[in-house]
Amino acid sequence: MGKIEAKNIIKYFQHDGKPLKALGGINLTVNDGEFVCIVGPSGCGKSTFLRILAGLEKPDDGEVLLDGKKLVNTGPDRIMVFQEGALFPWLTVQDNVEYGLKVAGIPKNERHDISKRYLDMMQLSQFENSYTYQLSTGMKQRVAIARALVMDPDVLLMDEPFAALDSQTRDLLLVEMQMIWQKTKKTIIFVTHNVPEAAVLGSRVAIFSHRPSVVKKSLDIDYKRPRVTEDENLAKFEKEILSALRHQGPK
Amino acid sequence: MKANLLSKKIAFYVLIIIVWQGIDSAEIWPDNMFPSPVEVGEDLLYGLSDGSLFYGIATSMWRLIIGLSIAIGGGMLLGIYMARVETVNQTIGSLVLGLQSIPSVAWVPLAILWFGLSDSGIIFVTAIGAIFAVTINTYTGVKNIDPSFIEAARNMGAKGSKLVTTILIPAAFPYMITGFKQGWAFAWRGVIGAELLFSFLGLGFLLNVGRQLNDVSQVIAMMIVIMGIGILIDGFVFKKLEDKVMTKWGLR
Repeated sequence: MGKIEAKNIIKYFQHDGKPLKALGGINLTVNDGEFVCIVGPSGCGKSTFLRILAGLEKPDDGEVLLDGKKLVNTGPDRIMVFQEGALFPWLTVQDNVEYGLKVAGIPKNERHDISKRYLDMMQLSQFENSYTYQLSTGMKQRVAIARALVMDPDVLLMDEPFAALDSQTRDLLLVEMQMIWQKTKKTIIFVTHNVPEAAVLGSRVAIFSHRPSVVKKSLDIDYKRPRVTEDENLAKFEKEILSALRHQGPK
Repeated sequence: MKANLLSKKIAFYVLIIIVWQGIDSAEIWPDNMFPSPVEVGEDLLYGLSDGSLFYGIATSMWRLIIGLSIAIGGGMLLGIYMARVETVNQTIGSLVLGLQSIPSVAWVPLAILWFGLSDSGIIFVTAIGAIFAVTINTYTGVKNIDPSFIEAARNMGAKGSKLVTTILIPAAFPYMITGFKQGWAFAWRGVIGAELLFSFLGLGFLLNVGRQLNDVSQVIAMMIVIMGIGILIDGFVFKKLEDKVMTKWGLR
């Protein structure tokens, strides 16, 4: 299961020594198996919100519930995929992917079986013994996604994981991401600043306002998968997202 | 390229010995102040043949290894605590910087009073001379870890000692190597300095014996041995380790 609820999340940033209200009471419920993209103007705190869901930061007010239970700390029930991957350079691809399993004390044979499955899924089987500096940015993100999936989390949290990729690699991963979601039926929350990306991936897109941000609009994207960015039928969804973003410059 | 470098080095040292022999042949200073390379060589050979040199080297190395191991273990522990617990840094951290400025031989009187003329005293001086270099480099290394490594590891369930052994130490290792290298250099100085003053076996002791016997060639022979061991350990142990780590971590 993986129903995650954020209730009235408030968070202040320190800006020039003064508190600045970044999150002004975020309410967002993501149902089990949903793929929700979060878009918002830069600096609105969407990444911070994701970090709060992951338990890596504490909100100043409000609470996060996973399947009705209040969350206090970070943990492998919600795995985060970081923008730059956060892969460990001293480990091989396979050891990176198995890291969380090793921490959990899963025996070697079992670890290998699990990691092999996801290395295959992410088309990394030939690179299992490589070190991360030998990989392209796109390959690194594949490793990061495999490392998250092996943990079999209730919720997958993704913080602009494709922001640094070239458009070809990104298009490829956008299609793969949809297939992974369909195959694994995970709850995914995906932060991005890229509107076409949100329209391709999300079964729903939550649009954050400028700070102090709230969920300004929640848009269901009811369209067949796998979707591709150049599909013109997605344009109307993109337009809706863009206009919601536009109507809310800095106050 | 590599052979070229080696031949340059050999030519340089041969040149030094020729110049040295030349100065000696000019008879500027008496032989008991300025020995010829041949005399020094003879002293080295004599030390080798009667085993005293090996025994001296073994004694010094054994003390070095124990002292440096203590320094590396303790320094890593202290450095990690300083980097992770702000209060420890604010209190012990400032003391570490102060202690780091004390030359290791300055610990000798205290070591003699505490441990007497014993191995433990020399090991104490060796360890204390090296520990703060390891501490400071470990601290810097842990402070410079990409925060997302730690967050990702915690997110995947790592905490406490598991976080230390699987993330903090390997992530900070390139810095720690610098600490080990500096620590080894301090430890080597410390062990020789302490042996000189304790006058209790080891290469430093042999050096001091040379002085007491007015045997300049023995003094120079021991200095060459001390330098040679320094070059060997630097070049073979630490350079190799550093290269390996830097390559594996993708830093070069």
